[in-house]
Amino acid sequence: MAVTTAPRTLRMPSSEEAARARRIRTGLKYIFLALIALIALAPFILAFMGTFKTDAEIIAYPPKFLPAKWLVSNWAKTWGTDFGAGATFPRWLANTAVVSVGSAILQVLCCSMAAYAFARLRFPGKDGIFAFMLTSMMIPGAVTLIPAYVVMTKIGFVDTYWSLLVPGAISAGNIFLLTQFLKAVPRELEEAAYVDGASRFRIYKDVVLPLSRPALLTVFILQFQGMWNAFMAPLLYLNTPKMWVLNVAISTFQQQYKAAWNLTLVAAMFNAIPVLILFAFFSRYYIEGISYAGLKG
Amino acid sequence: MAAADMRTTRPAVNRGRPWLAGLVAFLVTAFVIIAATLISAPTRGIKIFPLKPYIGEAVGSGRLFVLMGVLLAVLVGLLAAVMISRNWGNQERRQEMMTAYLFLSPYLLITIVFTVGVLLFALYIAFQQYDIFTAPKWVGLANFAKAFKTKDFVQSLVNVLWYALVVTIVQTSLALLLAVQLNSRFGGRNFFRTIFYTPSVTSSVVISMIFWWLYLKTGYLNFGLEKVFGLFGVTWAKVEWLNNPRGLFQLIAIALGGNISSDLWYLRGPSVTWMAIMFQNIFTTIPTFMLMFLAALQDVPSSLYEAASIDGANGRQQFWKITLPMLRPAVLLVVVLSTIGTLQIFDQVKILTGGGPLGTTLTPVYLVYREAIGTQGQIQMGYASAMAFILAIIIFVFTFLQRRFIERGTEQY
Repeated sequence: MAVTTAPRTLRMPSSEEAARARRIRTGLKYIFLALIALIALAPFILAFMGTFKTDAEIIAYPPKFLPAKWLVSNWAKTWGTDFGAGATFPRWLANTAVVSVGSAILQVLCCSMAAYAFARLRFPGKDGIFAFMLTSMMIPGAVTLIPAYVVMTKIGFVDTYWSLLVPGAISAGNIFLLTQFLKAVPRELEEAAYVDGASRFRIYKDVVLPLSRPALLTVFILQFQGMWNAFMAPLLYLNTPKMWVLNVAISTFQQQYKAAWNLTLVAAMFNAIPVLILFAFFSRYYIEGISYAGLKG
Repeated sequence: MAAADMRTTRPAVNRGRPWLAGLVAFLVTAFVIIAATLISAPTRGIKIFPLKPYIGEAVGSGRLFVLMGVLLAVLVGLLAAVMISRNWGNQERRQEMMTAYLFLSPYLLITIVFTVGVLLFALYIAFQQYDIFTAPKWVGLANFAKAFKTKDFVQSLVNVLWYALVVTIVQTSLALLLAVQLNSRFGGRNFFRTIFYTPSVTSSVVISMIFWWLYLKTGYLNFGLEKVFGLFGVTWAKVEWLNNPRGLFQLIAIALGGNISSDLWYLRGPSVTWMAIMFQNIFTTIPTFMLMFLAALQDVPSSLYEAASIDGANGRQQFWKITLPMLRPAVLLVVVLSTIGTLQIFDQVKILTGGGPLGTTLTPVYLVYREAIGTQGQIQMGYASAMAFILAIIIFVFTFLQRRFIERGTEQY
């Protein structure tokens, strides 16, 4: 854990000079970190300030950090505008929420079921299917996503939530993640339940699911965020403006509706803010998810 | 082993009828695969109902495809039948097997239709001329040949190779640097980690819109550069970042008083616009890889550093001799993931440039999209598919090479 700093004390007797050098180094480190933090947040802060500016102010040069007058009405205007045939930001936000939450729930269910089978059950064909699943992770999205829209059209999924919910209900990567997780969980509880006569389904529902709650939450968040931020699939499969998700709406906002930059930035905020709030609360799970995906992937 | 079990259990109690179970397994499996085949068969038009004319159309237009699907259905069906009937006699095994397949059924069904079916469809039409409305026509390798003869595609490959090279190198090294900085224990570590990760949480569309605005001629980037250059008394000529086709090497040539003509476009290097998009992508992806490195750093035993510092190794030596070698698997992973991701870049191009200016931001995936949707003229599904497979092969080759190259070094440790 503690790596670079601890050993140094072993080497250096902590004379006054060394202590001062260390303090300077710590100070420099914090300055460095603060600078990076500023860079990471700068685009968001600047854009957030931009949402309150007037049409002219937002593209004026030189740009000013603070708006001359805080136009909160930009937010209300973007939120309240009807872009025709029921296409509004509340609607787009709802569409995005439905597909993100829906596919995350479906994935928690479908992936955990598959993972339970892979981690705990013996059945013929297991190794073959598992190997197939791992191989399928290597197929680039572009190869299947784009032709899939022909299939989507045929089965009537285009312009419905199903086009994102059904393929989004499974993910080879998340099944793999959950399988690895379950393999590391001791089987004693399940075996006790089995001896007591519980069915496999009861064991899955009452023992395995509660035990793997942290991993399931990770899967939920990974998929929620993945779908919330998805662009190519919704762009292909959701064509009528009313069915768009936020990403598609925002990306066309500039050209299609000739929107001013202040309103465009408000639109971007509608997408960013929910995710950032969620992230503030669940950052641990986001970070664990990424770390986990990295270690196991 | 399995055969021995059967011999002992089967005569004792006649548990169900293995042959019937096998038959049902065969029928179910074959039905699913044939249905998936019919759905993804290349047809004239895209109306699946009423079913009967559609099936006729599928068999007529995509005869070879359907034939292969049926063959696959029979083979996999037989396999399933044998597996099921063999294990049917033993009650415990039967239960376990049925539960497993029940639990796997959502995954299997969805993956058969949306991954396997679609993949085979894409592979099939890569050798056809196909526009959805007329019957597919076999053209052999013509689509692949056409791709390599079209300037747009060749340029998109050159673009994306530059992109993968620059973005991967820059973001991997910066992510590693940040991870090492964040790894030691200090107050506010989690706070900084959370803040640093923010750019990766937000969608590429949101980031693209914000950067678009920052990249405007009157935007903050020009403003900032003007201020910085102003400190040294240099006037900064404002750049239209998203509409500047001049390449990196071309700019150097111009600075030296020459130029690179447009016939030699491939020597011009990544354009200003392309580099602006690279910068944006680096900004958003560093945090993800930083977290992966942080996770890997947790597994480096601290005793190594203690031993090294007793032997008098300084911080830099420790980094090059301990941290980096120990992180080799993580570096491999990050480099591979980054290469795969960057070679498939699409969102930023679709939103910010549409491939322009002068095709300097065209990418293979954007072209696949353009031709498959038919935003410029006819729908060319076959051609689009061929390009997608060329890209897939390139990605496989890169992944393989990186694996060989980076993994070979790990053996000594």
